[in-house]
Amino acid sequence: MTTTPMTAIEAEDRRQYRTTRRRDLAVDLSMALATILAALAIGFLVMLATGNDPVRAYEVMLTGPLDRSFRVGRWLEDATTLTLLGLSVAIPFRARQISLGAESQLYAGALAAAAVAIFLPLPAVAAVIVPMVAAAMAGAGMGLVPGSMKARLGANEIVATLMLNAIAVRVYDYLVNGPLKEPGSSAVHSKSIQEDSALTPLSEWFGIPMGRANVGLGLMLVTAVALWLLITRTPLGYRIRMTGSNPDFAAYGGIKVPRVIEWSFVIGGAVAGLAGAHLVQGVYGRLEPGLAGSLAFEGIVVALLARNNPLVVVVAGLFYSYLRAGGDIMEQQTDVGTEIVVVIQAVIVLLVTAQALPDLLKRRIARRQVGVR
Amino acid sequence: MNEPWGKDGPALAARAVTKTYANGVRAVRGVDLEVPPGEIRAVVGENGAGKSTLMKLFYGLEQPSSGTILIGGRPRTLRGPASAIALGVGMVHQNLMLVPSFTVAQNVVLGVEPGRRGLVDPKAAVETTARLAAEAGLSVDPRARVDEVSVGMRQRAEILKALHRQAKVLILDEPTAVLTPQETEDLFAAVRRLRDGGMTVLFISHKLREVREISDQVSVMRAGSLVGTVATADATERSLASMMVGRDLSLDVDRSPARTAQVTLRVRNLGYEAPVGQSLHGLDFDVAAGEIVGVAGIEGNGQSELAEILAGLRRPTEGTVHVGGTDTAGLDVAGHRRAGIGYVPEDRLHNGAALDESIADNLVVDRHDRPPLARRGILHPNAVRAHAERLIEEYAIRTPDPSVPVRALSGGNMQKVIVARELSAGPRLLIASQVTRGVDVGAMRFMYEQLIAARDAGAAVLLFSADLTELLALSDWLLVLREGRLVGRFDDTTGLTEKRVGLYMLGVEEHDRAHLTTGLGLTGTGTGEASTA
Repeated sequence: MTTTPMTAIEAEDRRQYRTTRRRDLAVDLSMALATILAALAIGFLVMLATGNDPVRAYEVMLTGPLDRSFRVGRWLEDATTLTLLGLSVAIPFRARQISLGAESQLYAGALAAAAVAIFLPLPAVAAVIVPMVAAAMAGAGMGLVPGSMKARLGANEIVATLMLNAIAVRVYDYLVNGPLKEPGSSAVHSKSIQEDSALTPLSEWFGIPMGRANVGLGLMLVTAVALWLLITRTPLGYRIRMTGSNPDFAAYGGIKVPRVIEWSFVIGGAVAGLAGAHLVQGVYGRLEPGLAGSLAFEGIVVALLARNNPLVVVVAGLFYSYLRAGGDIMEQQTDVGTEIVVVIQAVIVLLVTAQALPDLLKRRIARRQVGVR
Repeated sequence: MNEPWGKDGPALAARAVTKTYANGVRAVRGVDLEVPPGEIRAVVGENGAGKSTLMKLFYGLEQPSSGTILIGGRPRTLRGPASAIALGVGMVHQNLMLVPSFTVAQNVVLGVEPGRRGLVDPKAAVETTARLAAEAGLSVDPRARVDEVSVGMRQRAEILKALHRQAKVLILDEPTAVLTPQETEDLFAAVRRLRDGGMTVLFISHKLREVREISDQVSVMRAGSLVGTVATADATERSLASMMVGRDLSLDVDRSPARTAQVTLRVRNLGYEAPVGQSLHGLDFDVAAGEIVGVAGIEGNGQSELAEILAGLRRPTEGTVHVGGTDTAGLDVAGHRRAGIGYVPEDRLHNGAALDESIADNLVVDRHDRPPLARRGILHPNAVRAHAERLIEEYAIRTPDPSVPVRALSGGNMQKVIVARELSAGPRLLIASQVTRGVDVGAMRFMYEQLIAARDAGAAVLLFSADLTELLALSDWLLVLREGRLVGRFDDTTGLTEKRVGLYMLGVEEHDRAHLTTGLGLTGTGTGEASTA
């Protein structure tokens, strides 16, 4: 009999370990649900305190987006962009790179997609694909700049990406207000893209009005699966995971950490570029000022909620945009403003990023079991 | 709370003390321990046996889940180290806790400075320190800055600090781990003198030979419980080891003479300019296939730098390194690994593992991009898992599943993961740094066997260790490194004493260059004849 010391996990047998893992997963899931309920409850109290009718507001907010088909379309269109942006930061996050550059990458992608889709005559299928490829490449290039600065020169990636955002937004504004502005139009926007370049709207497929939702949704789903496969099933994904977990270990194991960091930025940038292409080719059909709104930063929240797992990012993105869409409808139909949605989102973000809660719960369960044993 | 010590009764005692950590690990189980005043009590046990936790309970760093701690014969509730110190308990930690930029005297009086109205009287501080040092027989230079003195002197300063605070109980946590044999002897002399002056000393160690030398009684812990307390005079190293692991266990290394072949590692005029840390100067040595070469030295004399250069983590500034004919000096880490170099790093938590990743992922960092794990750019999770299951079986890694994160493993088990990875690559040259640091006796024995098996299978092994006993037991021959230079070379370790090696480590003696480079053929192309001793 050996009595050499063991950790709690070493002492478990395989079946027990799997039970523990299943239990932990169950705790995680129910905590996610509890988090949402807690956030809604706090929103409820805030509305009550400000003299509104919370029941009616919630009814509108939670059922509104599914009310009519074009509202569903509005939700899915928003979710597509948001999820792509969440995916774009999830990859550098996996390499433990705090990239905040989705905004600059998105605008670079939008400009590239628009330039090709407006000015370059192409045959039918290529007219859709070439602008998207151009957008992905432009976004990737925009990601490579801070990536290289971090990996080769040791620049702080947070500062580098934020500065690039500032520059990219100004350049974009200048181009939309100047050289690319549609001549003779009083409103500020570019010329519309060629018809062949547009992403097919879902309305055409389903024969019901779906607003501006388009096949970009499918593209987003494919991207998410592809990124999940990249992370879990390729050597590069392995390198990204190890670099993010312990860069010293990765370097010790022979992984070229600077190159991995660059790749994570490039891949993230390409995905953000696709989000730009989706806005140009699928949503607006042209360049408009402030195309992305605040979506780039909400993408970061989505990635955090999903703990940077590409498949979970899709779920988080759909959920988050649902709240956004519901909030808009609530504002239109009741006296409650979208601010309440911001409150709910903030509470969720706080609870989720404070990981202490589920861990505490798991530990308590573990302790109780030890006590019983 | 601050009642004086009782007239009689134990200086330190635990009554049915149990400590369960928040994660459910019960580190200490129902321990009853009594230490009478004026005794040197050794507490031994494997890693994770609970001795550190028990000490933390005595020092107020942790609070018992149940049971009572007695200090000076009375039950006490310790809210933190401050209340333990107030009761006369001092602790010298394994990682010394001093302010590096302060002088020794400033550190000793820190917190209880002599002087008036918030002004420190530096002269009085120096005088106090010198007086305490003379009384205790611990030689220190009160005016020297802590970051400029040796580890041994820092440790003496820590003890003086406790004395300055009127400690009646002194807890020494693995105090000899960082000392040379000579410094250890001085420490023991001082500890005995303190004991004769009425001090109660708790001495934590896993070096049984030292325990036998210094202590009056030995308490043995295993798996959180106190197995027993025996008078040191009645105990042998073997009987203590058996008590520690709960079965008969020999720590003797069974090692046949090395059968060396051609030179595997050839280092010539190796120099390294370190931005921080120790630089290396003009190192020349060979390691042949089929032998274990030990590198001795006080920690921080260039061992880490040398190991990392050979593993490719640092670039030498001059000189050449050849491994099996490949010039590795200009290659990156991957190139070094391709040349057949395996490396067990000295700090496994720093770069030996990705703690939050699975065992399976940790086992493939050097081979994740080639068959059988990856084919045509696709990494196969099933292959990674099968690979892990094979190594878990082969190296007796204790885990319920390959998907367990490495963080959940104990020190010895974690080290097995690293050793399994490095050895399963079939290295031509294995660089092993501090392989047994922080691992339990069972795993230690396993590591020894693995190193010797690798040697017998034809690997050249370069072994770095702070534990001289281990180096002497495992090495076929030995090099001594001091201040980045080779200062000693012992072509045969049989009959070599730790004390003799210690003289070279300290710089009291030194081999001349002719002896150090015998047989290296520095003028011609000779091979490492000397290495076979």
